[in-house]
Amino acid sequence: MNKSIHTYLQELNSRLPEDIITVTKPLNPANFDVSAILKHLEAGGLYPLMVFENALNLKGERSSFKLVTNVFATRQRCALALGMEPEQWKLNLSMEYARRERNPRKPEVIAQAGAPVKEVVKTGKDADLREFPIVKHHEMDGGPYIDMTVVAKDPDQGFYNIAFLRNQYKGPQNLGIHMSPRHNWTIFRKNEEKNLPTPVAIIVSHHPAFYLGALNVAPYGVDDYQLIGGIMDEPLRLVPSETWGDRFLVPADAEIVIEGEILPQVREVEGPFGEFPGTYGPQRYRPVIDVKAITHRKDAIYQDVFVGHRDNWILGGIPKEGSVFSAIQGVVPTVQAVHFAISGSCRFNCYIAIDKKVEGETKQAALMAMAQCDFVKNVIVVDADIDPFNEQEVMWAVATRVQPDNDIDIIRNIKANTLDPSLVHDIRGSKMIIDATIPVDRPFADRVNVPEEALARINLGDFISEEKMQCVPRFYDSVRSR
Amino acid sequence: MVRIFAIICPKCEKKFQVHYEDLRHKDIKLHCPYCDHWFMQEESKDIDDRW
Repeated sequence: MNKSIHTYLQELNSRLPEDIITVTKPLNPANFDVSAILKHLEAGGLYPLMVFENALNLKGERSSFKLVTNVFATRQRCALALGMEPEQWKLNLSMEYARRERNPRKPEVIAQAGAPVKEVVKTGKDADLREFPIVKHHEMDGGPYIDMTVVAKDPDQGFYNIAFLRNQYKGPQNLGIHMSPRHNWTIFRKNEEKNLPTPVAIIVSHHPAFYLGALNVAPYGVDDYQLIGGIMDEPLRLVPSETWGDRFLVPADAEIVIEGEILPQVREVEGPFGEFPGTYGPQRYRPVIDVKAITHRKDAIYQDVFVGHRDNWILGGIPKEGSVFSAIQGVVPTVQAVHFAISGSCRFNCYIAIDKKVEGETKQAALMAMAQCDFVKNVIVVDADIDPFNEQEVMWAVATRVQPDNDIDIIRNIKANTLDPSLVHDIRGSKMIIDATIPVDRPFADRVNVPEEALARINLGDFISEEKMQCVPRFYDSVRSR
Repeated sequence: MVRIFAIICPKCEKKFQVHYEDLRHKDIKLHCPYCDHWFMQEESKDIDDRW
């Protein structure tokens, strides 16, 4: 069976059943009900995948689509999405992603009759966005938003590009769309300069590996359908779209595909929208999508990402870690691990561990991370004895191994991310390198330690009863692993 | 972040944020995300566009 969100949920239910919570009570996603539940859970340090069986649609009726969200909120579930063991959630996961990214797979084009996403086809006025349980995530959001991936096709070279973009519900056949000046925006501008509409397909739900693959950091010109096939470890099955036939292919095993055109020379007010940094992107004057068709499975699931929270952050971080690691390894072969920390929305704060052999390697590693990924703003390089996945360890290294006047470098006037709220220019900003490594050219104070021999010899159970151990309050003074 | 300005909705009097280059001093109605009211900037009693 080809991979889909259905096959993933079956696998998750079998392997990590405690990770799923199903809610049967009716609720209204467009009135913050889903966000409030996720926020309450988050406050308790809980990040289950949520299935809402009776969510209301935008007509205020019980939607025929189940709503699934928070899929990516733990790295363990992301590991499972790539067919790995949940215990491989650290660097193994990122490195496996990087390995697959280097091995794209050519998609397989199938006939419409065999495509699950064509089980229901609606066009024209029958293609009604109000059928969906679209989520309004945060208080200042301009409306309910579909926040999954948008596919566009380069009009000159014919490759497909896929990106997570915000799509504001504006009417039964209308969406507002915001594109940062990256790949899909480039495609849109190419068409608009010729006064042509840009065909797009919104892939509302698919296997989680599809979305992890969509967040690759490949350069413009790489076909994302091929790359996603590599990440999914199977060729992505494609099928001709309803609107453009075989001139524009869409994923056959998706749950829901919304086909539409971004109109040239048309702008409308859009937003605000709570974005990935955990801050609002402002109201803008942005293009609009004229919806042409909606196709879906009979039992289709509607998927959402809780943007600005772990669901959104972890999803974006994993694809970057492996790519950055590989890039650094080219110049600093002793790199041990790379982590995009939750504290930086898995985008802005990059922690790199190296087994430093000579002075200067630190900065080489940091600069490579910045060059590889323009999201990176603050790089902290630590020694191999520090786990970059443990933020308390990283900050300990900063506290004990950094003299600010000597170990911090600021790089000015460099491309940044437009959604960084601290920028004072549209896209130009600054970046920081903190060298939290021990110098290799002079003696430096060693860390305190308890002898390994003693740790092996002393068994807690011989000294403290299990009953007493159960009563001792537990304090999580380091970053929780999940 | 790009330059933004904060504006008070004349109907519900709640504040929201708008992209300066896209919409400040433009003859375009803004949309209040809180109460769904559409209004011209001149109708707002308070606009904070310091930079």
